[in-house]
Amino acid sequence: MICAGIDAGSRAIKTILIDTENMQVIAKGLADQGVEQDRLASELFKRVLKKNGINKKDVAAIVATGYGRSAVSIADTTITEITCHAVGVHHLVPEAMTVIDIGGQDSKLLRLDTAGRVRDFAMNDRCAAGTGRFLEVVAERLGVELESLGRMAANSQDPAAISSMCVVFAETEITGLLVSGTASEDIVAGVQASIAARIISMAGRNAETPIIFTGGVAMVSGMADAMQTALGQTVSICPDPQMTGALGAAILASKQLKKAST
Amino acid sequence: MSDIPKRITLQEWDLRYEQLEKAGTYEPDYGGPLSRHVEDGDQRLLKLRYDNSAAALRLWNFLLTEEDRLHQARAAGRKIVGTMKDLGTVPVMAYCFENIVAFYPDGAWWIPCVMELGAGLLEIADSLGIDESFCPVRAMLGAFVTGAHFPIPDMLVCSVGATCDDFSAIAQRLNGLGHPIFWWEIPHRRRPEPDETAVNLPGGFSAPKCQVEFVKSQLERIKTTLEGLAGEKLDERKLSAGIKKANQVRRYLTELRHLAFTAERCPLPALEMLIAEMLAIHFCSDRQETINVLKELLDEVTSRVRAGKGILDADAARIFWVNPVADLQVMNLLEDCGGRICGTEYLFTHALDIIPEDLPPLEALAQMALADPMAGSSIDRAERICGDIRLFGAEAVLISRIPGASHCALEGLVISEIVRDKFDIPVLEIEVPPVTDSMRPTVHTRLEALVETVKARRQK
Amino acid sequence: MKTIIYTCPYVPAEWIAAHGLRASRLLLDHVDSASMFIRTEGVCPFVRSFISEVMKNKGAGGVVATTVCDQMRRAFDVLVRKSNLPAFLMNVPNTWQSLAAQKLYIDELKRLSRFLSRLGGKSPSNNTLAKIMLEYDAARGSILTAREYLSARQYAEAIAAFGRNGPDQTINRITGTEPQTDGVRLAMIGGPLMKQDFDLFDLIEQSGGRIVLDATETGERGLCVPFDHRRLRDEPLMELADAYFGGIRDASRRPNSELYKWLQRELASRDVQGIIFRRYLWCDIWHAELRRLKDFSNLPVLDIDTAGDNDIEQQRTVNRIRAFLEMLQ
Repeated sequence: MICAGIDAGSRAIKTILIDTENMQVIAKGLADQGVEQDRLASELFKRVLKKNGINKKDVAAIVATGYGRSAVSIADTTITEITCHAVGVHHLVPEAMTVIDIGGQDSKLLRLDTAGRVRDFAMNDRCAAGTGRFLEVVAERLGVELESLGRMAANSQDPAAISSMCVVFAETEITGLLVSGTASEDIVAGVQASIAARIISMAGRNAETPIIFTGGVAMVSGMADAMQTALGQTVSICPDPQMTGALGAAILASKQLKKAST
Repeated sequence: MSDIPKRITLQEWDLRYEQLEKAGTYEPDYGGPLSRHVEDGDQRLLKLRYDNSAAALRLWNFLLTEEDRLHQARAAGRKIVGTMKDLGTVPVMAYCFENIVAFYPDGAWWIPCVMELGAGLLEIADSLGIDESFCPVRAMLGAFVTGAHFPIPDMLVCSVGATCDDFSAIAQRLNGLGHPIFWWEIPHRRRPEPDETAVNLPGGFSAPKCQVEFVKSQLERIKTTLEGLAGEKLDERKLSAGIKKANQVRRYLTELRHLAFTAERCPLPALEMLIAEMLAIHFCSDRQETINVLKELLDEVTSRVRAGKGILDADAARIFWVNPVADLQVMNLLEDCGGRICGTEYLFTHALDIIPEDLPPLEALAQMALADPMAGSSIDRAERICGDIRLFGAEAVLISRIPGASHCALEGLVISEIVRDKFDIPVLEIEVPPVTDSMRPTVHTRLEALVETVKARRQK
Repeated sequence: MKTIIYTCPYVPAEWIAAHGLRASRLLLDHVDSASMFIRTEGVCPFVRSFISEVMKNKGAGGVVATTVCDQMRRAFDVLVRKSNLPAFLMNVPNTWQSLAAQKLYIDELKRLSRFLSRLGGKSPSNNTLAKIMLEYDAARGSILTAREYLSARQYAEAIAAFGRNGPDQTINRITGTEPQTDGVRLAMIGGPLMKQDFDLFDLIEQSGGRIVLDATETGERGLCVPFDHRRLRDEPLMELADAYFGGIRDASRRPNSELYKWLQRELASRDVQGIIFRRYLWCDIWHAELRRLKDFSNLPVLDIDTAGDNDIEQQRTVNRIRAFLEMLQ
């Protein structure tokens, strides 16, 4: 039997299909998010099915998650991304106790129990300064690729202090730093530290280990190191970090199906 | 007097220090080259500019060695009292005891600036749930957790009531971490009602007698607790003597401020004036040495003024500065932009006014505590600022918002309206976080624009 | 009869009513977007809304604010300059254990009495005050008793109506009949709610939760404790002061240990499984308690901060609540 998860995030739509017999991923896909969220989600889903030779009739259940989940008409149910990310990470890293998820426009911290259930969570979805958007802004300003930020931060000698709580004003700060001759590497390191600092506010003094980092921002090199430095604890990047929400949704679709049949 | 008064960098100070040493200039035991403090992590010192006088050197060394004095006091068995929020009242009483040293843990708010965030104090505050939406005084929490900046006091005394929310919340958080606090109440100072006996407070405010009595009762409680800590009784004679000593500090500061703010050419930089004023609130953990430091500074400024010498051009724009800055560098920046300080209100004018010596000492202290500009309305505070604008001849007002400070949200509105109504002078509000390096162009533009506006108005 | 408006729970409605005036506790709404304060950084949305409401209020004869928080103290300064409505700032001490603080509270009630008298009220006799206190006490008691039979929203609305209109109509308004039993048992903790926030109760219920403890300032926590009827007859003013100043626990108290004792008791007795922490952006007093509450309660705590406009924030609020209930279920 096949179940699917669709994570309709604010920047990208992700989908995963799993074989419920062995809970293995059999297909996945990703597309940019846009205004017509339902159409984009449907088209992505169809593309992934076609590419992998799967018939829609063979998909027993679909769960949608993420910011735009309510708009995904092909989904049977919706579950929040908090629950889905927890399930997805637990599936990939069963020992995970703390999950840091930083996406394009929000960041979350989840505390899990040993069974992978969410015990507690905190979110920053008010200010873009703690999210992937901030990294995009600095990459644009410096005229570099997002992927190069990690390498640049690693070469920083003296990370710049970014003081604004708002990414719009922080953009002005970055300009100011460039004008004053601050090295680009130091600016990038400062931005990464600023993002990591917001996680500390959510994490408290001692986040329970292992700490797993997921979401699109986890794929930006250097961010895990910045998180580690800020928390003073080891932070590991989740395998396939951008897909954990969709994976969790697919697993939950499978669980819901099993529950319904018993 | 130094040869040519000017502002110099830390590197230039090293050269100057050698000159002063060769000339046999007196230095106290905490003296030495300023640059040695950079090795302790005070990175900000590399970016500041300083007055080049021996008096200023002494002032800076005095400030930057306070932690040493506190540790020495602990080692010598003296009791350390951390007084919080009242900014100038409790230390007057505390220093009457032989065996007590008092200081403000609040002062840790400058550590992130001075150490350029290197101490990690703000991150600790973040982890305790006290994030950047709170005032930078949250660094104090980090200082208590690490214990790396001052010895943990034997007793903490904190005023609440008519105080700012963020400090109150931070202090409660500290209490919640297991630090017992002796809380005392400062009521919201109000004008006396027609059927109430009015008391004229130092500094010009008035309050009903019942409020003075209330504060007196609070100070009695503090006195009793300090007596228990010190193992010593504090009678009226000792308290009066302590008040006289505190007044010595205040008299020097009053004279210094008057000279510095009214002289034709600015005789002392804004940064040194800020540090000097701060000495009033708890004497930098050595009351007698505060008097000595201020005396030397006053002598230097007096001779500069007599000689018509200053550190800035004569046409510098005269700016009245409201609220202390979290980043000391901004005081330099004002002068770089062509401005000079002509009047200040750093939240503690009650620590600068003379404590009445013709009243029973506890009554006098109570009146002084109630004269705290932050304990009353923003309107009162604005009226006092207007009085000082008139006295010092300021041409503009700069209100420096403290990021996250609850009082700044609305009081700036009130103060600027009242000042504009009375004087029709420009009023500018800027926000100054602990490290402004990245915002320097923005802050610079604003200060420069203010100075340009002031100078353009002179031509009309 | 003149209406005296206020928001703070430490202002005893009985005292105002006993002066022959109408006490009306405001249930604020989100602030008008045209208000000049909407763009002022750092202003608590509740305070913004309060200023806005007072400035446009045509029906009130006076307003009472308190010094419980610094933002409200500063708001009073703005009102004094901008509004013609007679205004009184009541000094409510943050310290509470000392006799001096308790006496200060009583002295402030007496000073409030003089203010009310200037507005046409009459300083009450002990008998008058006692009678009014008994009426209010009965009404409060009936609300508390009805809690189990009302939805969280109905309960909050009953308390709000009681504050707004007084005891006369309160008992008649309580119409629930069946004990409420479904849903994950939750507490809502924080400062005052605004009218738009009552939608949260519905949202929580729709998501499978049920607020069994409304520990917000506008909820049960903001009600004074029941009066000692014997003492009420002998020393009504003292009893009033004790019930309000001594009985209402708040985060602004220093220390605020009594709040946590009360919470510990109530959370346990109502078998609460999770906490929804409702706070305003820029409210330092409550924001500082978030992490402490998490450490103290050992329960899952959902933080819902608001800038005061639920319409804009709806999506994020819905998301958080749904995720929270998913987690608890």
